[in-house]
Order: sequence, then structure tokens, then C-alpha cells
Amino acid sequence: MSLFRKKSSCHTPLADAPCGARKVALVGNPNVGKSVLFNALTGAYVTVSNYPGTSVEVARGTAVIGGESFEIIDTPGMYSLLPITEEERVARRILLEDSPDMVIHVVDARNLERMLAMTMQLVEAGLPVILVVNIMDEAERLGIAIDIPLLAKRLGIPVIGAAVARKRGLFEIRESISCFKRSAHTLPDYSRRLENDIAEITGLFQSRFTLSPKAVALLLLQRDQEMMDLVLEAEGEGFAAVEAKIREKIYARRESFHLDLSLERRKITEKLLDGVFRVPDERKITLSEKLSRWAVRPLTGVPLLFIVLYYGLYQFVGVFGAGTMVDFLEKKVFEGYFNPWITGIVKDAIPWPVLQELFVGEYGVITLGLRYAVGIIMPIVATFFLFFSVLEDSGYFPRLALLVDRLFKKIGLTGRAVIPMVLGFGCDTMATMVTRTLETVRERIIATLLLALAIPCSAQLGVIMALLSKAPGALLIWSICLLFIFLLVGLLAARIIPGETPMFYMELPPLRLPQLSNILTKTYSRMQWYFMEIMPLFILASVLLWIGKITYFFDRMAAWSAPVMASIGLPREAAVAFIFGFFRRDYGAAGLYDLQTKGLLNPRQLTVAAVTLTLFIPCIAQFLIIKKERGLKVALAIGLFVSFFAFGSGYLLNKLLATAGIL
Amino acid sequence: MRCDFCGYEFREEEGISGCRNCPVGAKCKLVKCPRCNYEIPLEPGWIKKLRKLWGPKG
Repeated sequence: MSLFRKKSSCHTPLADAPCGARKVALVGNPNVGKSVLFNALTGAYVTVSNYPGTSVEVARGTAVIGGESFEIIDTPGMYSLLPITEEERVARRILLEDSPDMVIHVVDARNLERMLAMTMQLVEAGLPVILVVNIMDEAERLGIAIDIPLLAKRLGIPVIGAAVARKRGLFEIRESISCFKRSAHTLPDYSRRLENDIAEITGLFQSRFTLSPKAVALLLLQRDQEMMDLVLEAEGEGFAAVEAKIREKIYARRESFHLDLSLERRKITEKLLDGVFRVPDERKITLSEKLSRWAVRPLTGVPLLFIVLYYGLYQFVGVFGAGTMVDFLEKKVFEGYFNPWITGIVKDAIPWPVLQELFVGEYGVITLGLRYAVGIIMPIVATFFLFFSVLEDSGYFPRLALLVDRLFKKIGLTGRAVIPMVLGFGCDTMATMVTRTLETVRERIIATLLLALAIPCSAQLGVIMALLSKAPGALLIWSICLLFIFLLVGLLAARIIPGETPMFYMELPPLRLPQLSNILTKTYSRMQWYFMEIMPLFILASVLLWIGKITYFFDRMAAWSAPVMASIGLPREAAVAFIFGFFRRDYGAAGLYDLQTKGLLNPRQLTVAAVTLTLFIPCIAQFLIIKKERGLKVALAIGLFVSFFAFGSGYLLNKLLATAGIL
Repeated sequence: MRCDFCGYEFREEEGISGCRNCPVGAKCKLVKCPRCNYEIPLEPGWIKKLRKLWGPKG
């Protein structure tokens, strides 16, 4: 499959751009509309390739403006000339190494005060900057007024107000590119002390750099190692004097250089924007903004989370999906009509009882595999994915990440770990793969362990909710147990595994009313993926279970594990649900569902079985992914720990409930 | 596409390229956000066609 309209290797030059075509780099924070502008300028023909030596992708395209060809480069998002992430390093390297003839800085008009600091840095660095103040339409809707000509005059560079998603300002941007002429900037100076420090350092430079000496000096004062290496290479023997001066200045301002520089830049930004950027005196705070604030503050965020979980997860997924819909599909449609009908047909068509068993027996492909997949799992995952898509489309998840960040720090994680945890409620296997995006190995191991132990996947969660909601108090005990174990194991893991917890911050996208078309599309896509994955596995599992039955493997397993089951107060038949669970977690939960409908479990046994099965060893697919991501040793260690911990917890819970006479 | 977690806007190709190391491969209909790695479902082809037919022009 061709992933790209045109794919090149790392160093392939852009075929379309004529040799010597002027280069235009688009820079700016993530999510300000750079890519939209890039697409508008370049049209359909672009090249996407990894920046050499990195996994960061950079898109390049050609634009013909005023009869001249330009090479347009869409750089990764950056917040400042001082890079922190790999994406920012790549964006800066493009500025340093590609030496673009124009740098278009795209900013969000609504956040001009915050984003103008980077414009200042680009201008100060002597780069040929054009400023595009984008998303003007939204800013105007909020009552924000921006005097574009005055800002252009103050900065000494071309400034264009635009809303590129609505094609507003595109003509002016093209015209600015076509007629661009470098001019001297008119930025105000920093304080005398800082200017003197900069002058002392720049006075020692013998070489010329792509960036202005002032910008280079400031980056050196901020201990930018990459810049230090570049200066060392350029200055050679003269570098010793530069390095000594930098050390002297860093030592003299060791307490507060970063803060001082930020404050000075802020002052300059305020001066530049005085009379340029006007916000309404009393801006009306919208309901979405209020909700957004409530969602991230612990005092209001935690109750809000419980409301979301109660109505979304318990009432909608548990009561409606796993209750009403499963009752209808499983009991009425499958047990009432479909299974008797198909059993008759198969028995008429196949004379051998052993083969009849394969299709319509106790573990038959149709009567068990299809019934589990369509009658039990489908309504549960459908309602779960619908609920999930509503939350996702509303922008609630990033707020949840901020809300739990402080708590997660105590268990060695950060708010960033909300991504795999939330995805784990969909499918733990996929979520385990996502743990690779966490910053440190320590975080990855803790998150993998917690996913394997205490995060039930969507179908398992739904079936367990359906089971436990029938026994009053059982669901509450199960929830408390899982939360307690999640935090306890997290706390212990954070103490045992050495290392520090990294910082976490993220920009919040706006909270919005979910769109029905988005919700339905996402639910449909997830359901389609889920069924493509589970149907073959359910059929395979049914065949294996059929083999297990005709070879009396399950009888032997049940007999062998009877003491283990008895120790946690469960009947020997429950062993089969745990064996099912190793194939797929949801299959195991559906096995419990069968036991409960046969009346083999009382409320206490049901609760103990649900807690033990939720904690129990991850399914085969998840185990294989843990092995791939963390190695065999970690996978085995997690598998063993989880198994013993699950039965240990089941044992204690059973004793506790029996002693206290609860349930 | 727009990431449902961090709000980052990116091209579908960028998202698909994030899946190249995944063992699930082409069967999976999810793509990764290049910024935060959150997984987002791909819009099915037939819905894209419907949007093109009935969606806003230009």
C-alpha cells in the first residue's frame, strides 16, 4: 500500500522544486494551522520523509507563486528557538541547515500574547520572518481585536491576519512570499545588563553563524548544548574564551537567568502589543470554558469524573448495554430462536455427534463462539465505544490527564500515562504498545504492569458490570478493590523501580459539544476493527475448547485446579472461565456470565471471581506484546506476579467477605 | 485529521506512518497521533466517499 502520495528516502531532494528555488519554512507551535497553510500553498503534490537520523517527519512541497517556484517546508511544531523535544530540535535544524529564504511564523490570534515571544526570537535571530496571525475568525468571535498594520510597523516585518482554514488571507500570504524583501527589524532592546552580557559574549565571536550573534549568545547563556557544539566547531581555538565568558555569566546569573529572560521578553511583548491586541473588558466566560475549568480542578473534577462514570459507564454500558441489550440478544434471540434452529439444522446435516459438538455443542463454534461474540460482547462493546467516542470527541480526556497528573506522579507516572490507561479500557494489548511513548523505561514498566493487572478491557469490563450489577454492593466492592490494588501496586512499583518521574504539561484543546457524525463514525470504525480481530479468535478458541472437551482436558484441568478454586471459595467449574480468560479476557468474563446464569455462583463468589479474573494473567495477545515491548524476562515476571497476586487477592477478599458477612 | 486527545492536526499519512512498527499491521483501523501517540480510528473509505458526495464543496 502506498502510504504517501509520493514517498522519498531521507535525503531525496524534492523532484519538483527547480534547483535554486527559494525555500520557505513554515514554523510555529503545534496546532496553529501550519499544515492547513502548507496544503493550501502546495496543493496535492508533497513529499514526506524522515528528517535524517530521526523519526520525525518533515513534509516538503512546491508552490508556484507569481510565476516563481518555491520550496515549502512544513516543520514540526516548536515553542521556542531553545529546543526541548526531538521535534523542536528538527525544526530548528531546518532553520539552521536549510537556510530558508523566508520563515513564515504561524501563530494563533487567540494566543498572540503567548506566541509572539517566539516571533521575537526568530526576528532577533536575523531570520527573514513573515508573521501570519491565523485563526482570526475565532479571535474576532471572542471579541478580540488586533491591529495588524501597527504590529507590522512595530516588528518591522510583514504581518498578515488570516483564517487559512477559511481561505482568508491566502492571497496576502502568497503576495508577501512573492514580494518579500529583507528589512532591518525594529525590536526594542533588553535591559542594559542583559545587553551588556550579550555584547561581551558576541565581542569574542570570530565566525559568522546562520543565526545572529545576539541569538547565539542568548542560546549559549541558556546552556544549549547543540549550539555550544556548533560554536565550538566554528570558533576552534577561540572557543575557550567564549566558553569561559559564558561560564562566568551563567555563574553570575545562576539563580534566575531563565526567569529574568522570560520576564524581559514578556515586557517587550507587552510593549509590542500595547494598543495592538485588545480583548473585551468583560469577556463572557462560556459554558464550555466553565466546564473545562471544573474538569481539571480536583474539587470539582473528581465529582464530575464520578458523574461521567456513573451515567456513562454504569447506567449506559452496564445497565443498558450489558443488561437490557444482552438480555434481548443473548437470551431472546440466541437462546430462544437462533441456537435451537441452528442446532436442528446442524444435527440434521451432520450425523456424527462429535462433529455436531464442534458447531453446536457446549463449546460449539456457533452456540458458544458466535453467541459470546454477537450476543454478549457486541452490545457491550458497542455501548462502550459509543460512550468512549462521546468523551473523546468532547475533549474530556486531556482534562482527565491533567486531573490525575498529581495522583499518577505518586505511582511513578504522569498525566501522559492517561493515554495508555484510557486506551486500555478499549484493548489492553494495543494500550501496552502505546506505553512505548512514555518518557522513561521506569514509567513504561509501571504502566505495562498496571495495564496487565488492574485495567479491564472494554468487553471484560462490560460483562463484569452486567454480572455484578445483579448483586447489590458487589460492583462497589469490585470497584474499590481494583482502585485500591491499582494504587497500591503503583505505589510499591514506584518505590522499587529506581528513577525519577518526568514533568508533564500539555496544551488543552477546547472542550466542545460532541458531533454526532464523529461519534458514529468512530464507534463504527472501532466496532469494525474489534470484530475483525475477535471473530477469528473466538472461532479458534471455540475449536480449541472443543478439542479440550473431547480429550477431557478441561475435566482434568478443573480437577487439578479444584483446590485453587476452593481456596478462593469458588466451585471447580470456575476454572474453565479462567482458562477462557487466557485466550481472551472478555471470553473469560463471558464464561463467568454462563456460570452465573446456571446459578453456580452466589454474590460473594461472583465478586471474588470477578476481582480475581480482572486481575488475572493478561490474555495471550497482551502477553506477547509485553514480551515484544519489554522483553521476555519482564513479561514472565509480570505474568507470574499478576497470577499470584490475582489469586492472593481473591483469597484475601473471600476471607474478608466471609468473616465480615458481607454479601 | 485531528487528534482527539491533544487536538493536533495532521495528515492521515503521518498518522499511518506511526504504525509501521506495530505487529497488528494493516488489519487495525487505528492511526497514531504524531504528537502524543493517541490512537484514532481512521474514517472508513465509504464514509469519506459519502462526505465527498454530500459534504461542502471547495
